[in-house]
Amino acid sequence: MDLFGSFQSLGIETGTLTMFILLLVLLITGMPLAYVTLLVALIFALGWFGPQVVPLITSRVYSFVSSFVFVSVPMFVLMAAILDRSGIARDLFDAMKLIGGRLRGGVAIQTIAVAVILAAMSGIIGGEVVLLGLVALPQMLRLGYDKHLAIGVVCAGGALGTMVPPSIVLIIYGLTANVSIGDLFTAAFLPGLMLAGFYVIYILIRSYLNPSIAPIPEPNDTTTVEKLRLLKGLILPLCVVAGVLGSIYGGIASVTEASAVGVAGVILSTIVRREFSLSMLKGAALQSLRTVGMIVWIGIGASALVGVFNLMGGIKFVSALITGISDNPTVVLLFMMLILFVLGMFLDWVGIALLTMPIFVPVIIKLGYDPVWFGVLFAMNMQVSFLSPPFGPAAFYLKSVAPPDITLATIFRSLLPFICLQILAVAMLILFPGITGR
Amino acid sequence: ADMTLKFQSSDPAGNPNFELQQGWAASVEERTGGKVAIELLPVTSIVAHNETQDAIAAGILDGHITDTSYFSGKDPAFGLIANPVGAWSSPQEMFDFMNDGGGSQLMNELLNPYGLQFIGATTPGLEAFVSKVPLNGVDDLQGLKMRAPEGLVQQVFAAAGAAPVNLPGSEVFTSLDKGVIDAADYSVFSTNAAQGMHDVATYPVYPGFHSMPLVEVSMNKAKWDSLDAETQAALSESVREFARSQVAALAARDVAAVEEAKAGGKVTVIDWPAEERAKFRTIAAGQWASVAERSTNAQHVYDVLTGYLTENGLMNQ
Amino acid sequence: MADDLDTKIEQAMGHHDDPGAIPEAGLLGKAIDKLGLIFALSLIVSMLILINEVVLRYVFNSPTIWAHETTIFICGMVFIYGGLYCVARDQHIRVVLIYDAVSDKWRRIMNIVISVVSALASLIFAWAAWLMVQRAAFSPDGAVRLERSGSAWDPVYPGLTKIGLFLILAVISLQFLVLAYNYTKGRK
Ligand code: NA
Ligand code: NA
Repeated sequence: MDLFGSFQSLGIETGTLTMFILLLVLLITGMPLAYVTLLVALIFALGWFGPQVVPLITSRVYSFVSSFVFVSVPMFVLMAAILDRSGIARDLFDAMKLIGGRLRGGVAIQTIAVAVILAAMSGIIGGEVVLLGLVALPQMLRLGYDKHLAIGVVCAGGALGTMVPPSIVLIIYGLTANVSIGDLFTAAFLPGLMLAGFYVIYILIRSYLNPSIAPIPEPNDTTTVEKLRLLKGLILPLCVVAGVLGSIYGGIASVTEASAVGVAGVILSTIVRREFSLSMLKGAALQSLRTVGMIVWIGIGASALVGVFNLMGGIKFVSALITGISDNPTVVLLFMMLILFVLGMFLDWVGIALLTMPIFVPVIIKLGYDPVWFGVLFAMNMQVSFLSPPFGPAAFYLKSVAPPDITLATIFRSLLPFICLQILAVAMLILFPGITGR
Repeated sequence: ADMTLKFQSSDPAGNPNFELQQGWAASVEERTGGKVAIELLPVTSIVAHNETQDAIAAGILDGHITDTSYFSGKDPAFGLIANPVGAWSSPQEMFDFMNDGGGSQLMNELLNPYGLQFIGATTPGLEAFVSKVPLNGVDDLQGLKMRAPEGLVQQVFAAAGAAPVNLPGSEVFTSLDKGVIDAADYSVFSTNAAQGMHDVATYPVYPGFHSMPLVEVSMNKAKWDSLDAETQAALSESVREFARSQVAALAARDVAAVEEAKAGGKVTVIDWPAEERAKFRTIAAGQWASVAERSTNAQHVYDVLTGYLTENGLMNQ
Repeated sequence: MADDLDTKIEQAMGHHDDPGAIPEAGLLGKAIDKLGLIFALSLIVSMLILINEVVLRYVFNSPTIWAHETTIFICGMVFIYGGLYCVARDQHIRVVLIYDAVSDKWRRIMNIVISVVSALASLIFAWAAWLMVQRAAFSPDGAVRLERSGSAWDPVYPGLTKIGLFLILAVISLQFLVLAYNYTKGRK
């Protein structure tokens, strides 16, 4: 048939542009996102090559779903689903009220603190956004916090999972760039805290400038007995956190196994609290199946698209584009940041890493930059990609558990200031590479 | 070039192996008089590392440079020929078998039915062992929690008394660091050093004793058959030369990395005495037979391999 | 007002009403929804396998050779089925900027077009997966031989996963066709 292979006459430049336009057009028709990327991959597989290349897509689907690094995803989702069905999370936030309760924006700051702790347990995002969306968002809305601030805190905080070590983004980067994953983890620690610090400062500034967006909870004279009762709510969650972190840092479990330890810890807690029932477990498992279906199929689509683009000669094209832009290393670096930013609008981080790392890293080394520092910079860029529209995974994860009246448009609007903070963090890393300790 | 072939490597773009392979790919156009050019793509850029065989057969890729053991799941014969643990003490011994001892024919007997043509063999060399605890011989392997990849290597360590843990490469560093495992089969010394493995596991065993993977360079059989004999010969010769230069380059890197590690004072490089190496090799050879039972092809590989080793006095009993 | 919001949040998050498959998904959707329980519960099974592995390795120093491969297999099947499950329940994430703004009539037309296109794409993927199954279920001489993992344990999980992927892609295609048909009839 004439159609098959006819796209090649477009050339790779026009072909790439057509691909992006097609993605954008299909995205806004309301077609499920996973199918948008899969369909574009299919159209280009057929149009650029022919039917014989379609098995490339199913092969990538197979490899994606049978990858060990993604086993922790359902575990953390399951943990969130069980937590949400118990009173544990509510008690945790109630107890934290005692600590930072009188501070303006206190609950939002607590949310960031909880997010950092969760990020230190897990290497993914998705689970955390869902968990905070189920646990922290209702608390803030109940207290009368500004909807936009609350949403932004949940998405940006929940996305910290890949910035604070351990991090799947850094692990995949380390394997691609052939640099020490330990060095990457060490180098990413301060930048991760810096970003969380930016969020806290932003919350404080906003809420002291405009007190109505972050009301202070009613001052109620809590008795010592009441305080002790509230504090009791901290014990079980802290045990779970200690169990997960302890099993990772104590050398008992691998990062992936630790996610299962977290699930077991949460189930044990519900038993201790007499909240456990088989129907509760069943409900949590079914919710996990839904969430995992959404999350993983988005990654599947992105992975398929990258495979087809690479076969079209995408690697050579992007390499030439980068090295041809300028002789000035700074310009090349900034251009890379721009590419990551634009890709972040359309693709899942897995897709971006699969696509750009094999191209960027050799160039970075040739330019004399430190590949470990660049790995942290890449992870920071992926923070932006989690939030940026139209394809913002953190927004979608939140949407999947938020009340129906919180629309995607509302979520994306709420994320804008946080995206600016993330770009500020990227700029800080470029201006002051010393933050990574390198 | 008259024909441009897309090859996928089983190494990532930043890896020294990949850079060396790129050198080979670039040399092919000149060596074949402009008839064939090779575009080399890093691992997983088109399909996953263990899916290239199917992709080549389907005509999606044209060829690959891949560790043959990734196809052990298709037929145990691939696992046995890819890494007959203990058979080779140096890359040259394996190359001799491949080039003059019937290894190439054997590879083609295995690959042709899958639609692939074997062009030649290379290897990153003898892998070094990564360990958090000093290992001075086979006895120290007793109960050792260690990561080993799928296949024969894992089986051999189990037979030697270790407790192999099935972990993907991506979890090796953190698991070693946190002590989930005490030792790991990972890569050659210089790569282990570059990835920081020795920062967390300070007792590497070098030179290694356990593993030297066969990395095959092969391509779509129909495309191979369409080339003239002269081009085919030029391709085969280019792979032989590449294998020699890769082994030399990586060995030099290893020596430099070992020097650096020793000078640093934090890493203790352990070298196993000959008798311990022989003990391990005997345990390994016992496992070849059990793999051979798993398929007729594996039995065939076993027969050819042991025949060659015996004939050349390389079987140590 | 605050109470009102509170109730809303309670409704949306507290009770977790299970809406099940959407009506347009038909009987097939109902069946997919029911079967989901098996896959959901197998997530709990993989959690138990991982915990068992940690205990056996850390306490008894005797890790299994099957735990990691089995959890990868289970999770892989759950990932694939999760996609089908979300199709039947219409829970895949979409950018609804235009979708929500148009009239019911136009939304119905969009639903029909999206379902037909997705059905066709899934059908092509199912065909490609079938080509993959042919290489994963048979050896070159035509004998039945499921692709194995090549590990010391050497389970047939790769072959099973590829067969599972083929079957589920085929059902996804069928489900989209059922959806398209019911959207056309305007059935609720
Ligand atoms: Na993390
Ligand atoms: Na984005």
